[in-house]
Amino acid sequence: MTQPASRSVGHYQYEERDRVFLQERINEFEGQVRRRLSGELGEEEFKPLRLMNGVYLQLHAYMLRVAIPYGVLDSRQLHKLADIAAKYDRNYGHFTTRQNIQFNWIALKDVPTILRELAEVDMHAIQTSGNCIRNVTSDEFAGAAKDELMDPRIHAEIVRQWSTLHPEFTFLPRKFKIAISGSPEDRVAARFHDIGLLARPGENGPLFRLFVGGGLGRTPVVGRELFDSVKEEDLIATLEAVLRVYNAFGRRDNLYKARIKILVQTIGLEAFRTAVEEELGRMDCAAYRLTPEHVAQIRARFALPDLKAPADAADVLEQHKKADPAFARWVASNTHPHQDEGHVCAVISLKTPGDIPGDVTVEQMHGLADLSERLSFGEVRVTHLQNLVFGHVRKDQLHELWQGLKALGLAAPNVGLISDIVSCPGLDYCNLANARSLPLAQKLGARFGDAALQAEIGTLSIHMSGCINACGHHHVGNIGLLGVDKRGAETYQILLGGDAGEQAAIGGILGPSFAEDEAVDAVARIVEFYLGQRQKGETFSAMLKRCGLKAFKEVAYETV
Amino acid sequence: MKRLSRPGEGEILLLTASRLLDGRIVWLGEGDHWHESITGAIRFTYEDAGPALERALAEAGQKEVVSVYEVVARDTQPPEPVTTREAIRAHGPSVHPDFSYDHAPVREKESAL
Ligand code: SF4
Repeated sequence: MTQPASRSVGHYQYEERDRVFLQERINEFEGQVRRRLSGELGEEEFKPLRLMNGVYLQLHAYMLRVAIPYGVLDSRQLHKLADIAAKYDRNYGHFTTRQNIQFNWIALKDVPTILRELAEVDMHAIQTSGNCIRNVTSDEFAGAAKDELMDPRIHAEIVRQWSTLHPEFTFLPRKFKIAISGSPEDRVAARFHDIGLLARPGENGPLFRLFVGGGLGRTPVVGRELFDSVKEEDLIATLEAVLRVYNAFGRRDNLYKARIKILVQTIGLEAFRTAVEEELGRMDCAAYRLTPEHVAQIRARFALPDLKAPADAADVLEQHKKADPAFARWVASNTHPHQDEGHVCAVISLKTPGDIPGDVTVEQMHGLADLSERLSFGEVRVTHLQNLVFGHVRKDQLHELWQGLKALGLAAPNVGLISDIVSCPGLDYCNLANARSLPLAQKLGARFGDAALQAEIGTLSIHMSGCINACGHHHVGNIGLLGVDKRGAETYQILLGGDAGEQAAIGGILGPSFAEDEAVDAVARIVEFYLGQRQKGETFSAMLKRCGLKAFKEVAYETV
Repeated sequence: MKRLSRPGEGEILLLTASRLLDGRIVWLGEGDHWHESITGAIRFTYEDAGPALERALAEAGQKEVVSVYEVVARDTQPPEPVTTREAIRAHGPSVHPDFSYDHAPVREKESAL
């Protein structure tokens, strides 16, 4: 196997003290597992300890969730994840909507060894579960996209370091999710996070627009702007103050009312803002000041890609497209403009129609890691829509990448199209599920899998969750599907009109739920109606606004 | 102890748990042993299942199992859990026939659910 470059691009390079910290943490958890297996610790005592280390007990086995900070992996890490899947799982990994990876068939006795193997490549599972600040997510095109205002990864890393094992915020009322983007196009669903940060350059350094109290789940809420322009030097102090207010006043007596969105709703945005400002007034803000030196230190631990492309790279790409229409179709849907004219960002769909969204095999992981070493500086990004991205591919080498992906069965030309379905694991694996989501996602994928049909439909998102916890973000799909248990039978509610981006919107419930096959047919009728009635260039959401939910409802329930 | 599962006509109760070491689904069988296959699971009436559940919960640590509870199943050979959730636990994920515990994936059994 190819050896990666000594400093892979894309993420923060660990220092020795980071590695020492991970070893200490593994030693601690190893002791806890030993005490659990010997019976010294009961399940009640052990459960919060395993959750803090990303270990869930699911339907068939333990599930281990591994953190991928801001979704960036290097090829060495991806090879390691593949090795773990082969050795300790069943040859699969599953990428999640939080830019993490999950292994579904893990034995508790193996977890400490797996954590040691992860630590060899500077990875861990800390804070991927439990009532703490979870893995910080970011824009999959960070540091590459042409439309980017500011690379958000440096500040994502700073937030990661600040939040990791923060002594005050290890036992929050509930889990806490932060996302950060540096693009005018919100690609991180910032308004659906406990805190969403949109970074932009200012005259005197970066500024951050801060949204608070967004989220999905049982009570979907669009986050609201708490501050328009937080200065870089005040970023950590402001986050600290928001978390302190939440930690002090968030409800701990009712699981369903414990998220920050409920606190903000209950006391109101103004009162929440006042509480944060008062907290800032009491804090020793100098101690939290983010200095330019500190930011520079973190920035220095990110290696940058040496973006050199031949002068005719774009011409070569055009020739390849002309010669191969299938490749041209893939380029049209699966690439995003890069800052450098000779490069492009390539999105690798993990949604081959009929397959399980987000799943990758060991062979595919190794293959992707090898391709990334050859063609994208040994860097692979995970998107919150459960796809992968090669951030910096030379235009003249894009055809080579596509051929490599075809050989791995990963060249579906459907990114952003209807078969690019986001789905949680649902009842096939998850202990909390009401219904299966994967079989329905597979059926829908197959139903709309035809490339020409997808191209005709255009941009349209389907999101699917197996229960109200909404890990598949069903509220923000143009078409959302939610698994509902109806007296022991699996049924599916359809929502229409969700949007995770700048026009953030929560989908409206269409009506009573459908059985699985009825749901597939209902979605097909909805899509047909859209195709038949849309005006030129009209998006699904725009047509929904124009025609109203009722018109779609009539179509969906037509023959039921 | 609050019990939620009451079997109906032609149904019985089984006891299930997850094995501590690897999380594998197990079923209480003869000799108070936890078995991987549902085939040999003891069939309880509602009345008998209560004390058996209490005993199983008390012995869970010693028997190295967690999350012990009752499951309603049809009184067939082998017993077939009534809910999709328990059928998936008994047979394996429906989306991966290759991971099925008994090579009878849930999907093919849907008509029986
Ligand atoms: S949405 Fe529900 S079913 Fe799906 S993974 Fe989350 S908790 Fe499980």
